[in-house]
Amino acid sequence: MKGIVFTEFLEMVESEFGLAVVDAIIDECDLPSEGIYTSVGTYDFNEMVALIKSLSNNVGVDSNTLIFSFGRYLFTSLGKAHPEVIQSYNNPLGLLYSIEDHIHVHVQKLYPEAELPTFKILEKTDTSISMIYSSSRGLYRLAHGLIEKCFEHYNGSAQVSYELLKADGTEVKFDIIQNG
Amino acid sequence: MDSKQEIILLKKALERQKKARIQAEKILEIKSKELYDTSFHLKQANHKLESLLNKKTAALNGSFLDIIDPYVIMDLKANVINMNLSAKEFLGYDHTVEPVNLTQLVHKDYLDYTKESFQILIKAGTIKNYRAKIILKNKEERYVQINSSLIYDQDRKPIAAQGIIRDISQETEIKHLLAEQKKQLNIIVENSPLGIALTVKGKIIKANPSFCNLLGYSTNELKNQTIKDISEPVDSLDSTDKLVKMNDGEIDNFSCIRKYLRKDGSHLYAKTHISAVRNNQNEVEFQVTTIEDITKEMKAEEKLKASENRLSTLILNLQTGVLLENEDRKISLTNQLFCDLFQIPASPEQLIGADCVDAAEQNKSLFKNPDSFVARIEKILSDQVMVVSDELEMVDGRILERDYIPIFNNGEYKGHLWTYQDVTLSRNYNRTLEAQREKYSSIIANMNLGLIEVDNDDIIQMVNQSFCQMSAYSEQELLGKKAKEVINITDNTIINEKNQKRLEGKSDSYEIEVRDKNGSLKHWMISGAPRYNESGAIIGSIGIHLDITEQKLLQLEKLELVKELENSNKGLQEYAHIVSHDLKSPLRSIMALSTWMLEDYREVLDEAGQKNLQLMQDKIELMDNLISGILEYSTANSSNLVNSDIDLNCVVSDIIDSIYIPEHVTVAVPVKLPTVLADKTKIHQLFQNIIGNAVVHIEKEKGLVEVLCSETENYWQFTIKDNGVGIPEKYHTKIFEIFQSVGTNERSSGIGLSIVKKIVDRYNGRVWIDSQVGIGTNFHFTLQKIKNKQPVT
Repeated sequence: MKGIVFTEFLEMVESEFGLAVVDAIIDECDLPSEGIYTSVGTYDFNEMVALIKSLSNNVGVDSNTLIFSFGRYLFTSLGKAHPEVIQSYNNPLGLLYSIEDHIHVHVQKLYPEAELPTFKILEKTDTSISMIYSSSRGLYRLAHGLIEKCFEHYNGSAQVSYELLKADGTEVKFDIIQNG
Repeated sequence: MDSKQEIILLKKALERQKKARIQAEKILEIKSKELYDTSFHLKQANHKLESLLNKKTAALNGSFLDIIDPYVIMDLKANVINMNLSAKEFLGYDHTVEPVNLTQLVHKDYLDYTKESFQILIKAGTIKNYRAKIILKNKEERYVQINSSLIYDQDRKPIAAQGIIRDISQETEIKHLLAEQKKQLNIIVENSPLGIALTVKGKIIKANPSFCNLLGYSTNELKNQTIKDISEPVDSLDSTDKLVKMNDGEIDNFSCIRKYLRKDGSHLYAKTHISAVRNNQNEVEFQVTTIEDITKEMKAEEKLKASENRLSTLILNLQTGVLLENEDRKISLTNQLFCDLFQIPASPEQLIGADCVDAAEQNKSLFKNPDSFVARIEKILSDQVMVVSDELEMVDGRILERDYIPIFNNGEYKGHLWTYQDVTLSRNYNRTLEAQREKYSSIIANMNLGLIEVDNDDIIQMVNQSFCQMSAYSEQELLGKKAKEVINITDNTIINEKNQKRLEGKSDSYEIEVRDKNGSLKHWMISGAPRYNESGAIIGSIGIHLDITEQKLLQLEKLELVKELENSNKGLQEYAHIVSHDLKSPLRSIMALSTWMLEDYREVLDEAGQKNLQLMQDKIELMDNLISGILEYSTANSSNLVNSDIDLNCVVSDIIDSIYIPEHVTVAVPVKLPTVLADKTKIHQLFQNIIGNAVVHIEKEKGLVEVLCSETENYWQFTIKDNGVGIPEKYHTKIFEIFQSVGTNERSSGIGLSIVKKIVDRYNGRVWIDSQVGIGTNFHFTLQKIKNKQPVT
């Protein structure tokens, strides 16, 4: 898993719960990387799983909610890191529609080893889109957070509903209807 | 959290950040090294490739010189550096013999294009499909296509260009030809009266103006419509089937008739031809649909069919047997009546195609004269000339009429038509008619009535023997003449009037007076009637003449006699009147004289003398009565009746008051008498005569006379009943004759009852008596009731 996800995760933990929680969960998890992450590096996904689990235990919020919150946080971070990507779209649906064909292509250029989820577009209209998220990570809630924040970024909102096509969340269908 | 702990945490976090930075730097170092290695490797590979390329190029150079297509290397000023044999042969130049500059070969029309192309080559290093016209050494013009690339030296500087020339003159020509053909084809398609449409998978891609005009759609409206959208098959199964076959590759084209719906909603029948154009996989790439408006043809065909149907129905039901043979004497057409006429046990359809060569021989037994029948047919067939109304007598008594009509087409014999008609009935009818005619002709000729027929112009058409005798003219003198002019009629206007009536279709009888040829006067009774032709129009008149001269003369004689009689009657009456008047006055004088004598000479005359004088006076009175009676009698017959309502009760009581009634006699009226319409004087006279008669003839001690009445529908009947002396039967009729009196009563003139009879006669009544001597007499008489006050004459 890309280092930027870890660094941003810890940034979020620090800003939300304080440095002590960051330190605590790093200590608690006994990570191979010892909690040392750089955005250009790549780390074991299991470390992320462990960190989330540990955070959940520490703060008493369930993992999925944490992941969803992190998705919302991550969108802002990624936007800061690569503003040109978001600027090239003038509405959230256009951005979502292009994840697979445009954004991920650019990600792959920078990080050829990156393991990215796929978004298969089922249907798109001017006000709605429906797509299937699939990833061995099963981080569909992360995607959910990202999507929601994306609409907020464009000063909009949307009804986002999802349906697990596989019980472990590795395949999830999103139905997104833009409000207004 | 205290600050110490916080510091520890921050330190730990800082430691992680440092380590992370180091880690990131390490990663970047590794990436840098990788990049360097990659670029180094690429450089080496590039170098290797370049030298490989150079080697290859040299090797290629040789092979290029050997390739079949013309191959030329030129410097950047288009001077030929090297060319292969093929190029030398094609261009006709050899760079080893003379310097060749390629730009000089380019046709002047292509110079600008060539310049541009050259610059592209310099810039891009290669150019493909440069096409131009060049002029060969032998002045021939050729189209060429050149693919060219630059040749560089080691320092990547272009030093020359190499190119392969392909002679595309033929291709270009073909292209031109194709373009030309396409143009021609377009013209044909655009101007074709046939509607042409190009369809891909049924959808119309292109349609020509005729197609649009036929259906009334614009080209755009037709686009993406399918042929199925705008039409329906007339024979659905067939065309769907064929379309499937076409898609399966079994057939390449088919025709069918489809009904198209025009934009305006009307229909169009069109012969539709669909051809498939296949690609190299034998799939139908597109279809060319041509439609031809055959609405008119369809209609004409329908009409033709209808008229054929009518014709065949006509022939089938014709009252003529028809047999049409073709030039090989095979039956082409026949009908039911033909089969019926010759008792052929087959239908007309079954006979088609049958051979007629032996037909005559086989059927000759049906005819009364078989051999001449066969001979006649052979003669007709060899002559091939139309024969009509041949009469054939058949064994069974029927008579057929046969026509033969040969059929020629452009002078070539194509068969013939036999028609047979059963004329038995009409022949028999004609015979009967002839017999009837003879019968009536002889009747007409021999009857005693003169018959004459004239046309509307009064021209005599026919006269019979009797008419000739009546008029004393011969038939020749009459026929063809104007009847009015020949026949000398006293009053011509009557004929004109009657002729007018005939024209109006009226018939009647009338009499005329004519003079025959000999001038003798004749009377004819004529019954005239209009004469009609077959279609009911009046064409003249027929007159039947009866010579009534004799009757007419008799009638005239009778009229004369009646007139004479009337005159003499009148004279007689006048005479009687005068006589009775004239006789009465001397009689009165005698009476007066005798009375005077009896009174003046009573003293002088003895008893016998007085008695004689008395008797003389009685006789005079009788004489007077007689004369009065005659006077009455003569007037009873002649004077006019003036009818009015008369109450008979009054009449009878007047009579009782005025006549002499002996004292022992009573006149009674036991019933109420009616009021009748009659002449008062006559009725008074009638009753008075009978009652007066009755009262004086009673010798019984008590006499009774009764007046009785009864009524029938048309008559009144009166009875005057007395108990007098009675009348012997022999007088019962006689008493009504004049001057007849019964008994010796001197007062009876013998005229009274004859007057009674006359009056009763005038009222169409009857008078009679029944009587027994010594018991009494019943006088009966009847009077006809006068209705509507019409006087009886």
